Amino acid sequence: MNTITKNIIRLIIFVLAQGLIFGQMELGNGIHPMIYPLFIIMLPFDTRPIMLMFLAFLAGLGVDFFMNTFGLHASAAVLTAYIRPELYRLFSPRDGYDTFMQPTINEIGFKWFIQVSTIMVLFHHLWFFILEYFKWSAWDEILKNTVFSAILTLIIFIVLQILFFKKPKTV
Amino acid sequence: MRKLIAFFRRFRVFVVFIVLQLIALGSYFSVLSYPRSRFFNTSSAITGTFFTWENDILKYISLDEQNKSLQKENVALSKKNPAYFISVDPKTAIIEDTIKKLAFERIPAQVINSSYSYKNNYFTIDAGSEKGIKRKMGVVSPSGVIGIVYDISKHYSVVKSILTSSINISAYIGKSNAHGLIKYQEIDPRRVSLTGISNDIRIKRGAQVLARGSGGYFPKGTLIGKVEKTEEIEGKPLWNITVRLDQDMRKLSAVYVIKNIFHQELNDIEKEYEQLK
Repeated sequence: MNTITKNIIRLIIFVLAQGLIFGQMELGNGIHPMIYPLFIIMLPFDTRPIMLMFLAFLAGLGVDFFMNTFGLHASAAVLTAYIRPELYRLFSPRDGYDTFMQPTINEIGFKWFIQVSTIMVLFHHLWFFILEYFKWSAWDEILKNTVFSAILTLIIFIVLQILFFKKPKTV
Repeated sequence: MRKLIAFFRRFRVFVVFIVLQLIALGSYFSVLSYPRSRFFNTSSAITGTFFTWENDILKYISLDEQNKSLQKENVALSKKNPAYFISVDPKTAIIEDTIKKLAFERIPAQVINSSYSYKNNYFTIDAGSEKGIKRKMGVVSPSGVIGIVYDISKHYSVVKSILTSSINISAYIGKSNAHGLIKYQEIDPRRVSLTGISNDIRIKRGAQVLARGSGGYFPKGTLIGKVEKTEEIEGKPLWNITVRLDQDMRKLSAVYVIKNIFHQELNDIEKEYEQLK
């Protein structure tokens, strides 16, 4: 299966999983796990920035359809995609990324993945909750929601990676 | 001109970013300040179908509880059925009523998607314009008011839940008739607050809070909840009343959309007076 088909299928699965499973969890205390940023993180290293943003926009739009948020997820996803190239450059290994590798725990390492995804998820959630509340007086709610949701989102990211993105068996 | 093109080429990533953000945020904020967007919501056919499938599977889990609440409602309704009454005075036994006319119809629907932990909550029901649902109709569950229809498609509608900061349902307190507006304080999905009641009126804990029926969304006297706590607002002669909702908004399933047969008439007569709106 080539990369394009694989990523399109992945996009559909992430949107459905977010819309039908993770978006329906009502955990209270402002915790809202959002798993589709993992789709943006896991796009191949050589994806062009504009393509990255379009795919993120599509994913966010898909989630908006399900959650009745009218564009909020799309906006947060586009922001995440916009900062991704800069962020990856910041954390790149000394001799750059190998384009055959995928940005997953198994292929590039736990430490790299945690650092990058923590920053991206924090950006994503902070942007999301700022726009949702959209007033200064709710800053404590915004921070609380961001931190708690980010922790749960990251745990789900790691579990998903361990369960579904195993290292392919080499011959 | 060439310089302009060069400029855009240099910043094209940023330009695309801004354009996409404008589309997304434009849609989001235009929805917040009421005008609707046809595009981004679950009344669209695709997601509606998915949620119907999901609901078909999941509705069995809460079947027990729903049966009980429907049964309770049946008991309450059967008390109003003329067939259950014995006439004492032969003159009043005639049921053909020309003094009272049916003013409200109820259209049954199932909730297929809902949220309660956001600042503004909406839910989707599986009835749309084909079943006669229009925008701004009231929605009730067997135990009370739950929202107002916000957007419709052919087979689905999105309902603005009572847990939305701009809901402003007009309500009164049973017996005392003091009335105010229901608002959602974004904290607890079991509680809303009733604002605008002057603090020289005495309010008992546990008093019923009922819909006032202004705007014709709900029949007057539809249950909302019970008074749980009253606090004085500092510097204002008003109560801040916490109302515990009768319907647990986390467990919505069978609901009814209220159709007011005389809605047009009510609108026409109130239209002339600016302060009534």
